[in-house]
Amino acid sequence: MKQKSDFWKRDTTRSVLASLISIVIGMVVGGIVILIVGMTNKSLTIGSALEGIRLVIGGIFCTGRDAAGSLTFGFSPVNLGNMLFRAIPLILTGLSVAIAFKTGLFNIGAPGQYLMGTAATLFIALSIPTAAVPAWIVWILAFLGGMAAGAVWGAIPGAVKAFLNINEVLACIMTNWIAANLVTWAFDASSLKNVAEYGKTGYVYKTTFNGVATPKLGLDKLFPGSQVNAGILIALLFAVLIYILMSKTTLGYELKACGANRHAARYAGIRDKRNIVLSMAIAGALAGTAGSLYYLSGNTEFFWSTYQSLPAVGFNGIPVALLAVNNPIAVIFTGIFMSALDVAGQQLTSLTAYNEYITSVIIAVIVYLSAFSLVIKMWISGGRKPRHGKAAKEDAAVESASELGSSAVTPPVPDPADETPPAEAAPEKGGEE
Amino acid sequence: MDSDYIIEMLHITKEFPGIVANDDITLQLRRGEIHALLGENGAGKSTLMSVLFGLYQPEAGVIKKNGEVVRIDDPNDATALGIGMVHQHFKLIDVFTVLDNIILGAETTRLGFLKKKEARAKVQALSEKYGLRVDLDAKVEDISVGMQQRVEILKMLYRENEILIFDEPTAVLTPQEIDELMATMRGFAKEGKSILFISHKLNEIMAVSDRVTVLRKGKCIGTVNTCDTNKQELSNMMVGRPVQLVVSKGEARPADVILDVKDLVVPSKMHKNNAVKGVSFSVRAGEIVCVAGIDGNGQTELIHGLTGLEKISSGTIELCGHDISRASIRRRSQNLSHIPEDRHKHGLILDFSLEQNLVLQRYREPRFQKGGFIRKDAVRAYSDELIRQYDVRSGQGSVTRVRSMSGGNQQKAIVARELDRESPLVVAVQPTRGLDVGAIEYIHSQLVSERDRGHAILLVSLELDEVMSLSDRILVMYEGEIVGEFDPKKVTVQELGLYMAGAKRDGKEGEPA
Repeated sequence: MKQKSDFWKRDTTRSVLASLISIVIGMVVGGIVILIVGMTNKSLTIGSALEGIRLVIGGIFCTGRDAAGSLTFGFSPVNLGNMLFRAIPLILTGLSVAIAFKTGLFNIGAPGQYLMGTAATLFIALSIPTAAVPAWIVWILAFLGGMAAGAVWGAIPGAVKAFLNINEVLACIMTNWIAANLVTWAFDASSLKNVAEYGKTGYVYKTTFNGVATPKLGLDKLFPGSQVNAGILIALLFAVLIYILMSKTTLGYELKACGANRHAARYAGIRDKRNIVLSMAIAGALAGTAGSLYYLSGNTEFFWSTYQSLPAVGFNGIPVALLAVNNPIAVIFTGIFMSALDVAGQQLTSLTAYNEYITSVIIAVIVYLSAFSLVIKMWISGGRKPRHGKAAKEDAAVESASELGSSAVTPPVPDPADETPPAEAAPEKGGEE
Repeated sequence: MDSDYIIEMLHITKEFPGIVANDDITLQLRRGEIHALLGENGAGKSTLMSVLFGLYQPEAGVIKKNGEVVRIDDPNDATALGIGMVHQHFKLIDVFTVLDNIILGAETTRLGFLKKKEARAKVQALSEKYGLRVDLDAKVEDISVGMQQRVEILKMLYRENEILIFDEPTAVLTPQEIDELMATMRGFAKEGKSILFISHKLNEIMAVSDRVTVLRKGKCIGTVNTCDTNKQELSNMMVGRPVQLVVSKGEARPADVILDVKDLVVPSKMHKNNAVKGVSFSVRAGEIVCVAGIDGNGQTELIHGLTGLEKISSGTIELCGHDISRASIRRRSQNLSHIPEDRHKHGLILDFSLEQNLVLQRYREPRFQKGGFIRKDAVRAYSDELIRQYDVRSGQGSVTRVRSMSGGNQQKAIVARELDRESPLVVAVQPTRGLDVGAIEYIHSQLVSERDRGHAILLVSLELDEVMSLSDRILVMYEGEIVGEFDPKKVTVQELGLYMAGAKRDGKEGEPA
């Protein structure tokens, strides 16, 4: 493993390459979409299409237009700061999905957990008067409240899975919509609706209304004019903590054991049911924290009429986790990348006649391809080996098949009957008897 | 007819990354013979058959049928050449009927509609001709394993295959069913069908085959006529060194009662009735007690009840003087080692590394963790030591993914983990299932030495040979009850067979043996 020639054979290298290829193809497809739109839309020219492509690739470094009307690029503290700010919830929901995947669960309930975290945070941050209680204590209470609410909302599908053997995906989808309606109802009945700014309906007060906001810790000096705050540091800290939890501790070992083979974990005396609930609770807490930190920044407004649509940031945790191959540290980078695309979308809207939905298309393509990253990985592996005609293909297929069977990327299949032996096919693969 | 080869596999070489699974292997099958293919796990038997069946393409070598070179690119080509296979794990659709399974893929149709009547008549004729009793309208999930195998055989006959491959066909059968299968195979050979019989059970090979080809570590060791050889010679060829076929063990010296079970009742997961119906027995330190019986008579549930994998309905279990009837699995495992029946389901986490599997119960011990953090170096050192001590072989040592290891070495890893815990009671369920002679010899000797060190062993086995040679006391289970207790020195296999089949039981019909 120390030799340089082994570098290309390492699993990590291949995973990173596969993710990068997904991104590149996503960008290329996005570029093609921009070109097609540019050529078919009368208000757009080829020139503006090329500008669009440049913005998608380098949007966060775009500083606007110069006097002559052409795009200027350079260090943009506002964009970079905003990128980091928007990365906070993406990193956290990405972690939420990744930790669930690692423990054999598919947490598609991040949007609901995010909403519950948001609601709990806003209620606490806005209803405890800062005249009586110091603002920093309110901040901590609101932060912990959001985390706890997310944890509870994650634990529910976990418990349903553990005790009733109901697929967590189904339970998560239902808890998502229950959360969406619950939150709408709660704010509708509350006194937190923003009435100070006339003309706005459906918004809750910003937390700064009560004097509660995440400290900037000097980051505003580094990125003047942007929304960035200490939340990004908390997100980074959480990523590191989750990494340590999963790869260094006995608890992480237990959680992964339950995910990889629930029966064997039980056989070894590990409490499988408790651990499934715990996995989902941790995942939920992370998604709840995402909502909490986003709205505690103090300059974001919450539109409380959520019963019609779920927050996209919850679902975007899935591509963030997939692109990172569920590695908590890699989630930091994929989360930041996703938010960079987000910022590029805004640039596209403000500087060209395109709208930000183009970036949604690119993200969608990347998401789609990240599900194929295993295939891409296999393709990389196949291409780097001396080929023995059909045999090489076969071997790659066997390899990827066993990876498919094991990798947490495949949503875990519910086991209807406990008696089904899960791995009977295993010894038939490869060259062994 | 002697030189009339129906299938020849000449100089077949098949490589996988890092391993030559088949190295210049030549196998020639005569028309109308039963040809056994003998080898340890990982010797390359399955790979060779997969090549013949078109699942793999060899790097070198040719396959000839009736002297002509043929290409087999996929299983359809193999079927077209009249090659059929009964796989070790049956390839049947559980929710289809027996008839549907037999005709699947070879349906007779008219204008796209099935013509089941003709198919039924044909299958019925075959079934009568060869004495293969099946219930054509039963669903596969409801029939016994033995009948499922007959369905697989009928599938081959229905397709009019003339080359029949049986991959470890007896692993799942009772002694009586094995005898029937042997008779059926002889009948096929008499009719001119050619049979490849893959096995590592020497008794069966000696009983049924005409010639034997032995593989070892991917190489062809040789082909011999069965009548010119004997079990000892074959096993030496297979393992590459003299093997002890009979377990050598001294007298048992039973001491204190370690496990005491009274009136144990365990519910079944399959049906409403209890699977274990009021069983009482005890196991002492320094003895091997074996629970014999045909699969599905409550042995699995009995063990699950003892080890805590299943909640018991009533009764008491005492282990080392403590009542553990309601104790957690973790508490029980302090005094109990369990070599589980299904090593993939319960025994191992296939996607974990070998070292992670070797500390599956022990990762919480202070030796392996500090303040909730796993001490990786301690785990690695312990794992390296176990691997060395128990000779567990794998590609990359401690960090090998267990899924990539051979079945025998997976089982060795479990045995190493469980025996090294030094528990007073060792529960071993079919510890040698699917293993080769070398590995069986090893595991048997480990269990005996464990006994001699004063531990109590409770063994569950479906193999009567194993029961007779290893145990100091035999309990026969039939339909959830213990119907007899025997001294292996004073009972015959036939006698045990009668109790296992429910024809006799203590205290009701006849006298205990």
